[in-house]
Amino acid sequence: MDSINVLIIEDTKAESDPLKEVLIQNNYNVVGIASTFNEALHLFYNQPVDIVIIDIFLDGKPDGIAFAETINIVPNASKPFVFLTFSKDRQIFERAKLTHPFSFLMKPFNELEILYAIEMAVEKFYNESKSISVENQNAVMSKDYLFIKKKNALKKILITDIVYIEVEERYCNIIAESEKFVIQISLTKILELLDSAKFQRTHRNYIVNSDKILEVQVADNLIILKGNHKVMLSDTYKDFINKFRILK
Amino acid sequence: MFKKTLVCLIILLFYEASFGQTESASDFFNDELKKAVYTFRNQPEFYKAYFFLKKKEWDSTIVYSMKQLRNKNATIDNYCHLFRAISLQEKKLLQEAEKEFFLIPTTFKFYSIVTTHLGEIALERSHYSEALYFFNKAERQNKSRYSFKGSGLYHNIGLCYFHLKQFDKAERYLMQGLQIQEKEKDTLMLIGSYMDIANLYYEQYEDQLAIPYFEKAYQLSKKTKDFKLKQNAAMNMAAVEENRKNLTLALVYRKEYENWKDSLNDQNKVWAIAELEKKYIVKQKQKEISLLEAKNKIREAQRNGLFYSSLLLLALFGTGVYFYQQKIKNNKIILSQKVALGALNATKDSLFSIVSHDLRSSVNALKTSNNKLQENLRSKDYHELDKQLHSNSMIANGAYSLLDNLLHWAMLQTKQDYFHQESHRLFMIVEQVAHSYVPLMIDKQIRFENKVPKDAVVFIDLDSVKIVLRNLLDNAIKFTGSNGLISIYTSNFDGQFYDVVVEDSGAGMSQEVIDELLRDSFSIAENKSVVNAGTGLGMQLCKSLIEKNGGKLAIESTLNIGTKIIVSLPVNA
Repeated sequence: MDSINVLIIEDTKAESDPLKEVLIQNNYNVVGIASTFNEALHLFYNQPVDIVIIDIFLDGKPDGIAFAETINIVPNASKPFVFLTFSKDRQIFERAKLTHPFSFLMKPFNELEILYAIEMAVEKFYNESKSISVENQNAVMSKDYLFIKKKNALKKILITDIVYIEVEERYCNIIAESEKFVIQISLTKILELLDSAKFQRTHRNYIVNSDKILEVQVADNLIILKGNHKVMLSDTYKDFINKFRILK
Repeated sequence: MFKKTLVCLIILLFYEASFGQTESASDFFNDELKKAVYTFRNQPEFYKAYFFLKKKEWDSTIVYSMKQLRNKNATIDNYCHLFRAISLQEKKLLQEAEKEFFLIPTTFKFYSIVTTHLGEIALERSHYSEALYFFNKAERQNKSRYSFKGSGLYHNIGLCYFHLKQFDKAERYLMQGLQIQEKEKDTLMLIGSYMDIANLYYEQYEDQLAIPYFEKAYQLSKKTKDFKLKQNAAMNMAAVEENRKNLTLALVYRKEYENWKDSLNDQNKVWAIAELEKKYIVKQKQKEISLLEAKNKIREAQRNGLFYSSLLLLALFGTGVYFYQQKIKNNKIILSQKVALGALNATKDSLFSIVSHDLRSSVNALKTSNNKLQENLRSKDYHELDKQLHSNSMIANGAYSLLDNLLHWAMLQTKQDYFHQESHRLFMIVEQVAHSYVPLMIDKQIRFENKVPKDAVVFIDLDSVKIVLRNLLDNAIKFTGSNGLISIYTSNFDGQFYDVVVEDSGAGMSQEVIDELLRDSFSIAENKSVVNAGTGLGMQLCKSLIEKNGGKLAIESTLNIGTKIIVSLPVNA
């Protein structure tokens, strides 16, 4: 499970410092603090960025919106972002609205507010870009990552890191190589969201990442996965083996 | 030449005779006919045919008798055939007339009339012996049935004999006719008879006998108005005088003849002229009519024009009145608005003064507090310092929230704020707002509970709802003493609205205060006596923002027990 990389664009150090502190406290990774438009672009293209927190006014000009507009134009470069502002001035916000999707945060803000704003931005971003959101809103799935809320902070998991998924009633246990977590979603639903070439159903209650399979014990109806995880294989789903070239 | 004159004369005479015959014979016949018409008065066609016959309008008679014939009434049919035949004969359609007469059975009551007419037709066609046959038959029939003074009939028989050159018989019949006519004093008939008799004698070269008749005819003709008769009489006299070699007299008669002929022509001309004049007048009238029509058209056009222009004027007037009324209405609205604005402005002014007063006292408190702080710093009384800082931050927070409300109020009033409703998790919002108050509540030893279900989603503008909750929580904390409880929870979820309740165990409010708070005005100045009363600005702001979000605000409170403030927030757009 990785921390989320945040780029802060803020020209006042007194503002950016507590923000950075809050983010770090909540296990976010701050990749940089830009104080000008150019610096922001430079950082954005040279650092791994998951989300951008933008102060609308940089040196008295609404360069923050200009930045959002710029990264929105470049295809595939667009990322979720949160606007920081002192007032909800309508003119500015009408312009900001055009850089959909966005979320915004009024100064002064407390810890919970900034975390919520980030969540909203991620949620909106992946909803809008026709990516898939998990129903109960405590997880968001994009093409490459599964964003999961752990306590107050967001975490992301590379989908290819998932070893297998086990269903327990309305919840799914998602087992990655180094950790496991639970989200509330049905198996069929999550199967729809995942890449069917990689993730296979092996049992009524199991979905397996085929890249992580180490061994299939047909006789015992068992699949051994990376990290020594053992998963059941039921007769109904046995034919999935035929999809692989079997070396005998 | 001489003979020709005679022939012409005879034909003319024959006419008169046939006419006379019809009329004289019809005394009895007419009575019978009238009776028949009366009997069949339910046959309008028959009556009309009779009527037109009397009027000598032959065409109409033919038409109506024809119509009547279609009805197939045996009794009247005979009359109708008779009408038709007579009319046709008068129209000189002799063959048709003859056919029509033959359609009448011999048993017909007035068959003698038919026979007479048949004779006349034959005579006219110069079938003299045939005519004679019919006339004789008619004469016999007449004698056998009723006395019939048929001067015309005798005359016609005479004429037949005359043409058949049986002059003695002709003389007898003509004389017989003449005697009857002399009795009847029928001038026109007499002239004809005289002339015919004269011609008879003249034909036999008995000039001495003939001339007196010619003269008699001539003398009588002077009394009539018939130009044709006058002309013929004159012509005859001219011929006679010419034969007697009395050329001067002949010339005189000839001239007279020419005269009469001329007058006849003149009359014809007069008629023609009259005809032309009539046509001219008709044309003139036509012109007048068309002129009048044109005038009418123009008048109509004018009238239409007038009508439309008056309509237009009316419409203009109507719109004028409408706009005038609209203006009056607008003026009224403007006036009432002016009054309302004046009131609002006054409230704003008082708000302004109260707010500045509050801020002034806050800042003043900070100022004095800062002085104390400096003193305590010098005396290194850290405990006191901490207390001072705490109270300072309290004052600053109060001033800040007042300013914040003021700013939002101003933004709301000028509609400058960005307002965007979207779905948010209510629990998270409450958490975020409460987070800022956690230290304060700990300080006041107030317990706080957020019992909003985590799946509660509302469709709201995030910041405005945060302002509302902040104010409500701020108030709740302000009015709740130590060890109190503040809880936020939802009740009455009906699918449309979440009722968010902010409940405290504080001082509570009287109904008066509640009403005051819910009123759309500031209740500021009056409630200065109450401790911590505030400006009422926060509550007004809350109300406005909740309404803007499509929600509702309600307050339930009991003095000294606590207050429930219920905010209904919409779930869907």
